[in-house]
Amino acid sequence: MKQKGKGIGCMWYPIGFTVAANPSAATVKVNEDGTATLLTGTVETGQGSLTVLGQIAAEELGISTDDVHVVSADTDTTPMDTGAIASRTTYVTGNAIKLAAEKAKEILFEVAAPMLNVKPSQLEAVDRKVQVKGFPQRNLPISEVALQAQFVQGRPPIGSASFNPPTVDMDPETGQGKPFSTYVYATQIAEVEVDDETGQVDVLYMSAAHDCGTAINPMLVEGQIQGGISMGVGFALQEEMLFDEKGVQINPNLTNYIMPTSLDMPEIDVDIVENFDPTGPFGAKGVGEPTAVPTAAAICNAIFDAVGVRVTSLPATAEKVLKLIKEKRANENKQLAPAE
Amino acid sequence: MDENVKTAEREVTLERLREIDDDLRLPAVPEQVSYPIETLIPEARTQTPAVGQRASRPDGRLHGLGQTKYIDDLSFPGMIHAKIKRAGISKARVKNIDVSEAEKMPGVMATLVGSEIPVNSFGPSYQDQPVMVNGTVFHAGDPVAAVAATTEQLALDALDKIKIDYEPLEAVYDPIEAMKDNAPQVHEGESNIYSSKVIQKGDVEQGFEASHRIYENTFSTQMVEHVPMEPHASIADWDGNGRVTLHSSLGRITLGRADIARTLNMPINRIRVIATVVGGNFGGKNEITTEPILALLSKKTGRPVKGVYTREDEFMSSTTRHPFIMDYKTGMSKDGKILARKVRLVCDGGAYCSWSETTLGKACILSAGPYNIENLYVEAYAVYTNKTMTGAMRGFGAPQVCFAYESQMDDMAHDLGIDPLDIRRMNAFHEGSASPTGQVLESVVVRDSLEMAAERFGWQDWNK
Amino acid sequence: MDVKLTINGEEKSASVPPETTLLRLLREEFNLTGAKIGCDVGDCGACTVIVDGIATNSCLMLAGQVQGRSIETIEGLANMDDYHPLQKNFEDLGSLQCGFCGPGIILSAKQLLDDNPDPNKEEIQDALAGNLCRCTGYTKIVEAVADAAREMRGNREAA
Ligand code: FES
Ligand code: FES
Repeated sequence: MKQKGKGIGCMWYPIGFTVAANPSAATVKVNEDGTATLLTGTVETGQGSLTVLGQIAAEELGISTDDVHVVSADTDTTPMDTGAIASRTTYVTGNAIKLAAEKAKEILFEVAAPMLNVKPSQLEAVDRKVQVKGFPQRNLPISEVALQAQFVQGRPPIGSASFNPPTVDMDPETGQGKPFSTYVYATQIAEVEVDDETGQVDVLYMSAAHDCGTAINPMLVEGQIQGGISMGVGFALQEEMLFDEKGVQINPNLTNYIMPTSLDMPEIDVDIVENFDPTGPFGAKGVGEPTAVPTAAAICNAIFDAVGVRVTSLPATAEKVLKLIKEKRANENKQLAPAE
Repeated sequence: MDENVKTAEREVTLERLREIDDDLRLPAVPEQVSYPIETLIPEARTQTPAVGQRASRPDGRLHGLGQTKYIDDLSFPGMIHAKIKRAGISKARVKNIDVSEAEKMPGVMATLVGSEIPVNSFGPSYQDQPVMVNGTVFHAGDPVAAVAATTEQLALDALDKIKIDYEPLEAVYDPIEAMKDNAPQVHEGESNIYSSKVIQKGDVEQGFEASHRIYENTFSTQMVEHVPMEPHASIADWDGNGRVTLHSSLGRITLGRADIARTLNMPINRIRVIATVVGGNFGGKNEITTEPILALLSKKTGRPVKGVYTREDEFMSSTTRHPFIMDYKTGMSKDGKILARKVRLVCDGGAYCSWSETTLGKACILSAGPYNIENLYVEAYAVYTNKTMTGAMRGFGAPQVCFAYESQMDDMAHDLGIDPLDIRRMNAFHEGSASPTGQVLESVVVRDSLEMAAERFGWQDWNK
Repeated sequence: MDVKLTINGEEKSASVPPETTLLRLLREEFNLTGAKIGCDVGDCGACTVIVDGIATNSCLMLAGQVQGRSIETIEGLANMDDYHPLQKNFEDLGSLQCGFCGPGIILSAKQLLDDNPDPNKEEIQDALAGNLCRCTGYTKIVEAVADAAREMRGNREAA
């Protein structure tokens, strides 16, 4: 018979390296037509990081995502970056980019201030314009300011900056310290169906509520969460590298190493928990890794709810779950026996 | 016109040329990707403010058109192909490597063995990993020799001609076994435990004494591959100035360049690493793999050299997720508050340290869960075994410990007759909570995430 | 051996060793690198192209087996005027991340929509079951296929 169950997985996860320095640098150049070019040493590994980083630069300069072209991944031309690891790109590289864009913007403001008869501190960059705070009617197109800076004043609006998350060493004896600058939190809740005759587990539904600080690009955040869940489903139910008694892997291929296909995926609802981290770029933290963290826990708790067996070693394959169900039945029968 | 040239003859010549052309069957127009001439800019990309927009990704369009170029899609004039011979034995001393037969094969341009690598070690925490085996094999996927040939198939065929004599050595595969005093040593040294961590907060024993009930469980997790759909790939091109350009699927080019500089014993500015969109990383493409090997093969042959992992290479020799063995002992009050927790983590590091240090550290800190626990003691060990090395993978130990602390949480809730949602809400961090390392936490939304997910799920009203 | 075949509507020919797979033929002879090598043994679907209307793992087909047949690759899906609705919807939803699985998935989806203009969710998931994707969890991919199907039905009615 098929039995349904629900289970929760809740987690916390840090952004960036554990204590160790993990800086990123960035350069932002505003072109004479008001568009911008961003140089970053990070590499797009599929998450959409370059899009998000472009959005951060654009936000700071008051221009649109499409106005920023991102140059990345060439050690000869792009500044150093610790790279796409530890869910740090949006937070650490993002902070560096925001600082770099701020510096480029300062040059624009210094150039624009006399043109608008105000002090640079009275200016803001909004909607492709440099305008006077509280008096938006007085403004100049950013293109005009950039052209003036570049061609008339000889002050190219280029900014470079670096960011490294502040941490405090951990005491070697007690581990006390501040290993990370910030953390994210998340909950996933799974609904599963367990066939108690075969041990087969189907994940039917997953509701996922993730904190990532400000979602710079909600569409890409959703993509990360959905992808993380698929990796979590594989970790929970299917994937395992197996070795023979001589330490040689016996399933080094995708025929025998089973990973999730489109048929294994549950229906997913994603919620982004509203949050703002003052230390992140525009309040953002990160989302990449945490998405794969609570999935297996949620699924195993749902299996427990469905058929009352506790999987203590992953993956929860059908054989393993069936064995646990049989053991449980045998135990129940034993307990019943004296009464007979 | 030269009067000596007869027109008729000239026509014959042209005819002949056309025939030759037909024989060659040159395509009239080179193949190309077709895409609309008019560039469409999706609206969300043009909006201000930029933050918060569901802006589509520029590479997304190229993916759909088949225009994204991954490393294996690139080729350069004169490029040759490299393949790697793997040990296939998990612990051994290499007595002899004979590449002479392979080198004699037509099409084979060069071979490379570990002793030819200037500094044959690298690693993010400890430099315990050789680029290619140098005397001792530590796991079955270790690279022992490389061949560069004019085609991939020739390079593969040549691998079979390489003869290696091994003297098998005693190996250990189980981390708990490996921790014992008399266990065979994976690397030379006193112990297979190469990293340990402790976190201590409050007084666990007192906490256990005050507890209504104590729960003890052991959990374990398996070794998992990243399975990026794009296997590792690089192309090395050594030029006449002694500068090498590497096109690589590496996800971290700055630190990768430093490792390449170390292993090749070259200044950083002589190395250029260019990455493309990485075809899936998840932590698995964080470290150099064959880059120094390809660079040296390129140096030897004067040709650009491409090396692409087979799927089997990917499984056997790239990093993987750490298997963990996790002992949890938790003391609870009658009404469901966690009073004390003691955790012991053993992580199977495989043959090399790679990112185990970080994994262990994160697992340690996160192992208490997002819950307020006054009395906590965590000890954690990373252990060498003669298996594929484990390294960075999405979550660095967090999915493992989360499986353990959340499983135990539900067992305890069940035993105490408390709803799993309530028990978590009751113990969850709040703004200003102190973490296991004593850090005051800010922008904490554990409860919000619990409540949001529960509401979306319909937790209260859900029926079997 | 000599192979003559039609690729994206154009007749082509090449001379290759007999063990050459269709995948290598496309990538190495014709420089059509949209079909990817994910495993080379038929497990992942990254090499999917359409052969005579059927989405096929091109790593499992030998050049000799495609003699005279008609191949569609990702490079031929759009034209100079417009994207294929699948391409547009995949882009709009951010369906692909690293994109390595993308050409194969889009071509599997194309065959589905050519055969069944109104597939339900299960039918879409079934059609994509042979295409592995490690990044996306398939969620936005399945959504984009459904959106593209809807758009194509709309276009057909309008026409
Ligand atoms: S490359 Fe053909 S199925 Fe994987
Ligand atoms: S998008 Fe990366 S494999 Fe599908």
